[in-house]
Amino acid sequence: MNFLHPALLLALPLMALPIIIHLINQRRYQTVQWGAMMFLLAANRMSRGYARLRQWLIMAFRMAAIAALIFALSRPLAGGWLGLSAGGRTDTTIILLDRSPSMEQQGQGREGGESKLQTARRQLAQTLGVLGSNRWVLIESGTNQAKALESAQDLNGPNGPNGLSSASDLPAMLEAARKLVQAERAGRTEVWIVSDLRRNDWKPDDVRWRTIREAFLGFPQGVRFHLLAYPRQASSNLAIRVSNVRRQTGDSNDLLVSLRIDREGGDPSARQTVPVQFEIGGARSELSVELTGPRFELKEHRIPLAADQKRGWGKVSIPADSNEADNTYYFAFDQPAPRKAIVVAEDSQVAQALSLVASVSPDPALTCSAEVVSPDLLNSVEWNSASLVLWQGPLPQDEAAEHVRTALARGCRVLFFPPASPGTEEFAGVRWGAWTERQDGVAVETWRGDQDLLANTQNGSALPVGELQVRRWCGLSGEFTHLATLNGGDPLLARVATNGGGAYFCTTTPTYSDSSLATQGVAFYVLIQRAQAAGAEALETTRQWNAGPLASTSTSSDNDQPWTRLAGGDEAISTDYSFHAGVYSSGDRLLAVNRPPEEDGAPVLDSDQVAGLFQGLDYSRVDDQEGNVASLIQEIWRVFLLAMMVSLLVEAALCMPRPVPRTAEGHS
Amino acid sequence: MFPDRQPRSFLDPGVLSRLAGLPLMARRPMQGSVSGRHPSPHRGSSVEFSEYRKYVPGDDLRRLDWRAFGRSDRYFVKEFEADTNLRCCLVVDTSGSMGYGSTPLNKLEYAKRLAGTIGHLAVRQGDAVGLACVAGGVVRNIPPRRNPAHLLSVFDVLDEIKPKGETQLPPILHELAETIRQRALIVVISDLFVDPAELRSAFQHLRFRRHDLAIFHLLDPKEVRFDFHRPMRFLDMEGGPAIFAEPNEIADRYRKALDQYLDAMRDAVRESAVDYHQVGLDQDYEQVLLQFLIGRTRTKGVR
Repeated sequence: MNFLHPALLLALPLMALPIIIHLINQRRYQTVQWGAMMFLLAANRMSRGYARLRQWLIMAFRMAAIAALIFALSRPLAGGWLGLSAGGRTDTTIILLDRSPSMEQQGQGREGGESKLQTARRQLAQTLGVLGSNRWVLIESGTNQAKALESAQDLNGPNGPNGLSSASDLPAMLEAARKLVQAERAGRTEVWIVSDLRRNDWKPDDVRWRTIREAFLGFPQGVRFHLLAYPRQASSNLAIRVSNVRRQTGDSNDLLVSLRIDREGGDPSARQTVPVQFEIGGARSELSVELTGPRFELKEHRIPLAADQKRGWGKVSIPADSNEADNTYYFAFDQPAPRKAIVVAEDSQVAQALSLVASVSPDPALTCSAEVVSPDLLNSVEWNSASLVLWQGPLPQDEAAEHVRTALARGCRVLFFPPASPGTEEFAGVRWGAWTERQDGVAVETWRGDQDLLANTQNGSALPVGELQVRRWCGLSGEFTHLATLNGGDPLLARVATNGGGAYFCTTTPTYSDSSLATQGVAFYVLIQRAQAAGAEALETTRQWNAGPLASTSTSSDNDQPWTRLAGGDEAISTDYSFHAGVYSSGDRLLAVNRPPEEDGAPVLDSDQVAGLFQGLDYSRVDDQEGNVASLIQEIWRVFLLAMMVSLLVEAALCMPRPVPRTAEGHS
Repeated sequence: MFPDRQPRSFLDPGVLSRLAGLPLMARRPMQGSVSGRHPSPHRGSSVEFSEYRKYVPGDDLRRLDWRAFGRSDRYFVKEFEADTNLRCCLVVDTSGSMGYGSTPLNKLEYAKRLAGTIGHLAVRQGDAVGLACVAGGVVRNIPPRRNPAHLLSVFDVLDEIKPKGETQLPPILHELAETIRQRALIVVISDLFVDPAELRSAFQHLRFRRHDLAIFHLLDPKEVRFDFHRPMRFLDMEGGPAIFAEPNEIADRYRKALDQYLDAMRDAVRESAVDYHQVGLDQDYEQVLLQFLIGRTRTKGVR
């Protein structure tokens, strides 16, 4: 049991008052001369069983009454928050609220239609209102910013925190809490975490957990963690996601929409018919799909567009189920931006090969072009329209380097090839080394098939990178990530992290004397085209991205223009648009914001995993259910007052003198 | 009636005069030394006819019933009942417990009033009165005499006695049963704080000796009710160890012990045909004596 005023329990020794009064009373005896001693002696010899028991009972009930009064004044709580009270009032209460889409899961049937987030807000407002604190701070997922609250009731108020479409980052939220405690030197602090324990939100393998744990352990004032968990997964929930949208031009103007429906809970092999509704520019169409497994994929569903419609936005939705946050997905479409490559090469053969590869379009609807530019004429190039820069020669310096950096920051991709005579030039901390030559050729030993330019194809097949033969390659020094490595450990393709696009370094050239990149050109062509496609994304007038903070999901150009909502929920304020699913316009760009893919079907962490994250910290957990109307805690001082009254009544009944059936006078 | 005209604190002339009209009767025949108003076991010359008996040589010819001889031609002697006086032996308990009293009178003072009045009434109707003051033994003993001057010495002793010592009533009653030679009225005035079983034996001994035993059992109202409310330390008035008690805790058992004692006492007096009177100190002793005398008049002894 826990108490709101545990200090009052120090008064429990007052329970001994009846005993002390009894002892004092015994010392205040009177002395009397007495004749009928024989009856006193006989009374003393008689069995004292009941009389003694009665005296003990009277004493016990008096003590119980005092104890009940003290307990009532200490304001006891009933509920599952074991180890809740540490005595006294909390100085600062920090609430970490997971607002990810999975927290929108609703209770079923009798539990009503309240979501996990709504239930958590109500429960927290009630519980924390009872417990009290000098200061309330809310750290919401998404922004991860600390926000002071007037009272715990603000959590459940009309302006309380609402659900987001972005995933939560619990380590970041805890880090924010740590900074708050450290910066404000808060006294006794309680951290309340509300979450549904999804793995993608908690990131249990993140290295930050260890740092956070050690930091909180180091606080002298002690920080207590309470986890209000909603780990119950939906009994049956469908999540829809658009995997690809593209326009098809030609005889007709159609939109090809590929989508995916994931099923969570229930029988994964059960047959289920789901009506999928498409809405594009106010025009609705519906398609019934039949689920027979945990996942359904619809490839390139054709939706006719008006002949003159080239850009627009739409959404797909499925009927309401356990979680409404994953029933709608927004998308935007436009004509693909032209892909333009700028080729800067000191070797004309290389320039020709690069130009050829970059200008051959993989799709007739796409316009691909390559412009070969001499290093002397870089100023005359229209950099803003470039999606890819292919640079063979000494690394750019001075003004040229500035042009390249600007393009990179805009989202453009840059691929460097080694010069004939490597110098001491450096770009992004990387510089070329000496050439190495092997006449018999060296094969590629490993390459990253899971991501980036050499990733496997959509059907999972690996690119034929292993068939390449490299006869001459240039050394590379600096900080970079290996994307492909030659036998012997030298890099073939490396990437350097930059703020915007990506800077790649290929350590050989496509000439025959150097490698078989051109002769076995599949991998080379894919590499160049993927780099060009990635760079062209920055030029697209539509963007499809995962809800989250702007800084991490967008390039700098997305922040230039204010956002205007075209579709989506109206609960978000303009600064939070990037966290809420919907379609927004920013300048001439269309932005479709949706929940991140990892939100769908993310597993729930088990108790041991969560406890392991808080190992060594003062941590307690209670599991609740969405729609639960029973309070987590409730004050039960009334019960103790009732117990006190009952004790007094029983004590009074025991103290009442027993009726004497006959008096001695009656015998005469 | 007061030869020395000396007022006694335990005698109230008003009470004496009001009770003078009632005789003090014995419940069984007495063997007095002179003629009196009590039945005697012997034949005598009273006016009350008893029986006819055949004449035997040596009988007084004056007591021959000539009329019976005329009718039956046989000699019969006519016999009459004899009346005699009684010896009244007053046994007053002077043990320490008799000094207790929550009323204006303690038990010994009350006993003195009863004893003095009964003695006065007895002497007044010509009976002999004696006094035995008993505690741990016989403290004072005055054999019965019937002259008024003897009554003065009885009063003097009553005046002097103080409550002291422990109660040893049963052996004393046994002793008195043996030492009082003839049938007598023995009036015991005591709080009887002894084992009823031992008393029963003494009562039966007295009955066997053909004494008429009357008992005034004195009890203080406080001793009956035991209505103390604070912790008390009870000092034994007869010198025993003190007892510390919480009245609330012990009252029930005290009353239970008292009830058991009174039940046993009632059985003992019933089986021993004792004229028993339980007297509360808050009762008027005149009323007590009035009931005593009236009761004895009703149960006037047969020969």
